[in-house]
Amino acid sequence: MKAISQLRKGITGSLFFVVGAGLLSIGAEAPWSFTPLTEQAVPVVKNSAWPNTEIDAFILAKLESNQLQPSPKAGKRELLRRLHFTLTGLPPTAEEVAAFDPDKITETIEKLLTSPHYGERWGRHWLDLARYTDTTASWLDSTSSAFLYRDWVVDALNQDMPYDDFIKRQLATDLMPETPPIDNAAIGFLGLSPTYWKELQLPPEIIKTTVADEWEERIDAVGRTFLGITLACARCHDHKTDPITAEDYYAIAGVFASVKLASRPTIPEAEWRPIAKAREAVGKLEEQQKALKKKKPAPEDLDKQLAALTEKVDGIKMATPHYNVATVNGVEEAALFVTGKDDGKHGTKLDYHDGEARDLAMHKRGDPNNVGDIVPRRFLSAFPTEAGKPRPFTNGSGRLDLAHSLVDEAAPLTARVIVNRVWRHHLGRGIVGTPSEFGRAGEEPTHPELLNDLALRFIKNGWSLKWLHREILSSATWQQTSLATEAALRSDPGGKLYSHMPRRRLDVEVWRDAMLAATGELDPSIGGAPGDLESTSFVRRTIYGKVHRRDINKMLRLHDFPDPTAHSPARPETSTPLQQLFSLNSPFVIERSKALANRLTTAEPKTESRVDLAYRLLFQREPTATERSLGLEFLASGEPLERYTQVLLTGNEFLYLD
Amino acid sequence: MSHPFTQPLVDRRTALSTLGGGLGSLGFASALQAAGELPAGCHFPGKAKRVIHLFMNGGPFGPDFFDPKPALTKYAGQRPEGADLRTERPTGGLMGVPYQYSHHGQSGLPISELLPLTAKHADDLCVLRSCYTDNPNHGPALLLMNNGTMTPKVPSMGAWMSYGLGTENRNLPSYMVLCPGKPVRFSILWNSAFLPSKHQGVYINHSKIDPDHMIPWLRNESIAPDDQRRQLDLAKRLNQNHLQSRGGLDQALEGRIEAMETAYRMQFEATDAFDIQREPESIREAYGSSHFSNGCLLARRLSERGVRFIQVYYGNGQPWDTHSGHDEKTRKLAADIDRSIAALLEDLKQRGLLEDTLVVWGGEFGRTPVTENSNGRDHNPHGFTMWMAGGGIRGGYAYGATDEFGFKAVEKPLHVHDFHATVLHQLGVDHERLTYRYAGRDFRLTDVYGNVPREILT
Repeated sequence: MKAISQLRKGITGSLFFVVGAGLLSIGAEAPWSFTPLTEQAVPVVKNSAWPNTEIDAFILAKLESNQLQPSPKAGKRELLRRLHFTLTGLPPTAEEVAAFDPDKITETIEKLLTSPHYGERWGRHWLDLARYTDTTASWLDSTSSAFLYRDWVVDALNQDMPYDDFIKRQLATDLMPETPPIDNAAIGFLGLSPTYWKELQLPPEIIKTTVADEWEERIDAVGRTFLGITLACARCHDHKTDPITAEDYYAIAGVFASVKLASRPTIPEAEWRPIAKAREAVGKLEEQQKALKKKKPAPEDLDKQLAALTEKVDGIKMATPHYNVATVNGVEEAALFVTGKDDGKHGTKLDYHDGEARDLAMHKRGDPNNVGDIVPRRFLSAFPTEAGKPRPFTNGSGRLDLAHSLVDEAAPLTARVIVNRVWRHHLGRGIVGTPSEFGRAGEEPTHPELLNDLALRFIKNGWSLKWLHREILSSATWQQTSLATEAALRSDPGGKLYSHMPRRRLDVEVWRDAMLAATGELDPSIGGAPGDLESTSFVRRTIYGKVHRRDINKMLRLHDFPDPTAHSPARPETSTPLQQLFSLNSPFVIERSKALANRLTTAEPKTESRVDLAYRLLFQREPTATERSLGLEFLASGEPLERYTQVLLTGNEFLYLD
Repeated sequence: MSHPFTQPLVDRRTALSTLGGGLGSLGFASALQAAGELPAGCHFPGKAKRVIHLFMNGGPFGPDFFDPKPALTKYAGQRPEGADLRTERPTGGLMGVPYQYSHHGQSGLPISELLPLTAKHADDLCVLRSCYTDNPNHGPALLLMNNGTMTPKVPSMGAWMSYGLGTENRNLPSYMVLCPGKPVRFSILWNSAFLPSKHQGVYINHSKIDPDHMIPWLRNESIAPDDQRRQLDLAKRLNQNHLQSRGGLDQALEGRIEAMETAYRMQFEATDAFDIQREPESIREAYGSSHFSNGCLLARRLSERGVRFIQVYYGNGQPWDTHSGHDEKTRKLAADIDRSIAALLEDLKQRGLLEDTLVVWGGEFGRTPVTENSNGRDHNPHGFTMWMAGGGIRGGYAYGATDEFGFKAVEKPLHVHDFHATVLHQLGVDHERLTYRYAGRDFRLTDVYGNVPREILT
């Protein structure tokens, strides 16, 4: 691997791997996260029986130095539920719990990692970062095939595509000769970027700002998603706390000034060209039809003229093989210049130079109408190549160069950021508490050596996310119980030292999916066009519910689903009365309650066994005596079974994972 | 200011942001309220407790109502120097305002004949004649007015208020947006962006006035309240049981039990709050019967119940966007708002609410004194009129001035950031101290700008 290119003698004299050795000193001092990854000595611990993995040694050493002990291992049911939810976002069955052998957890981890539902769960985590949407405002370009990007992400994760490759393809797969055209869906990361309305009647001075805002949006998404740093604030001035200069900003902005959002084919370019041409011709004919219909007074032979145009359209479609082939929301290489109209009249022209790239001039204090020197496109000066200078971007817009830099010169940072994200999803709290802010403005890592160690081994293991999952889930740290003692809560508030697992609320998608799983209605099919979450008969996983950037489904919106107009590093967990109205009164919940009641009634003739079965289906356990008598008492008073199942489905035990 | 995902020790703000508006639901929140002379979230005593924002989406023309410009008639058809500012579209010569102005109230505030009923409240109005914004296009201007920036990525001002001050009524959301339809840009205008999602505006389309059409899942026809209470009693016992078996010390679990109870009560409280059919006939009559009338009446009912911020959008799309037939359309729009606004101000006053309710009127920008399409007016970001009333604002006063054509703010220009700073100030919030750490920096509603014009405060 090229990234791990240098060997260096460590203090002890043994050979240490070092990734990303050539750090350049500029302006602000580099934060801890920019420093090279070095091999870490595994700490020595007193309680040598506890650790399962290297992770545990780092965690335990710190606990011990704080006079703390880890919590006991979680029970069998707790562990398996946690494992299923964290890897697939779906609950286990009672039978799976019964058959589970905690001593053979490695096998179970392996099985779940090969489940296609793994990609759905972790794909959704990624889509939060990528500000994924199925639909945008009606006046923007169509995103009707956005789901192909979502499916690409799910599939890539299921295949355990190496994370460096995963990054490169999302930024530049169309420029990579080794990837097939079908892979163009990956560019949805850029192709589905939010766009801002550009009223072309306005003068170019104003539109330039809007366009610059869009470039900033892309830079912000790339910076925070992959590098965990906020490059965007260098638009107006050098970054105040990190070694990111305004020049760096415009060196990257040039990349986004050299691409245009565009439909991209999923077939080879040569086959696509005639189709693109045909579609353009059809578009023009359809415009003519629209204009005709608006014409006042309407021409006498309007119908005849329209029909003639329709005939032409049909003719072109017929004559063009694969006319309706799927296209994806991607980008193409084109340099954008914002200028006045050619005729010098009122308004602005967005002048795309197809196939060209451009370097931007610095915008002084972020003002695109007050420009300074031109900055050639290149990577950040804080991450030079071995030659001592930042990598110049020479290949077209520079997207592919940028992607290479992210996983090569910036590998230490890129790896730390993704390792921390995965860690946070499993453990409830990141080693770095600010998952998309690894600069000085973010939090310091609680366990820098551990993060260093994991990130380095992650790269050595081929940037394999599944390797990382195995490593974390096999640890005794992850397998601790969430039933923290009062002492642990007091001495380790917020769980920063990982003396216990936090209890966690299920994300709205997982919660909804778990309800459908419990009632037996869940349609587990993978991929495809999104469906309508408003419809009570839509029983696919929630990831397949339509996301509308401007009008988010109200169930999602009220349950902390992130706003897809920007990168979302983490979801807050709020509990509001409006959410509870959903639990109390929504048709979705009422339908699920009925479905569960039906399932119980069909399976069990006696009320008592129905209560027991409900607990097995929902919680994979028998009810306690109190729970059973509360249920029976409620039902004995004549309440219908569906009111009881509603209480269980919307209760805290169903929503919070131990 | 702590980061909500990482701060383990519960400070007050974190408590506010995780308790789902259930202020007082836990001991320490009530203790804070009881101990401080200041309401939670305030930096200093504010004169207003809540805000009603009457949003004329599309953008009204100040000189039609509150900013007399006789020069428009004098130079009608001409395009003298100063009347050739660049706006969104090509424009022609000046177009006169055909309405008579007279002086009203003890203050003698000039108000045109289009608003005879509102004019009776002249001594309550502080007319801001010198507002300006940064972009002559609806989208960016709407965003600047609502979110403090032109790109859709930061929280709305209502979300900031909810975040900063919480709610006065734990049975209702703290921020509600009423619109009979959808304004341009829609939900972005009341989003919470990086603030916890409970702070986003609850959008209510009140084109149908049945409460259960307005709030999602407010009612459940299939169950009687008593039966649902029994259901909730069971839920509560099982949830308490669950909490105890988990050590009894989990704020999130407790918070949700509390939120469930609030939701149960909200069904009745909100049903009541949103049911304008419970108003006496005389009140309904006073407000009028249009969508905007209903919006204003709802705003009063909600403010009465302690909802922090209520926005009433005039209508679907952008009804005030009069690119052609400006005068004809304006007469109709004016007649509609005049009655409702006068009724709202009167009603608030009679109930003693106006003194601590800040009422704000305006669009996302104004309109041009010059014509577009011969009888229309284009968007004008350079100078426009808003007004404020109640909530510690100096009534019977006109602040700032536009040039002689009403095109550009020339005297005491008041930027949208200044407007935001002022609204927050009236609520007892220092706009420079209401911050949230996100993406590595402290964000504010007013970015790095904003001044409060002291002379408009009482």
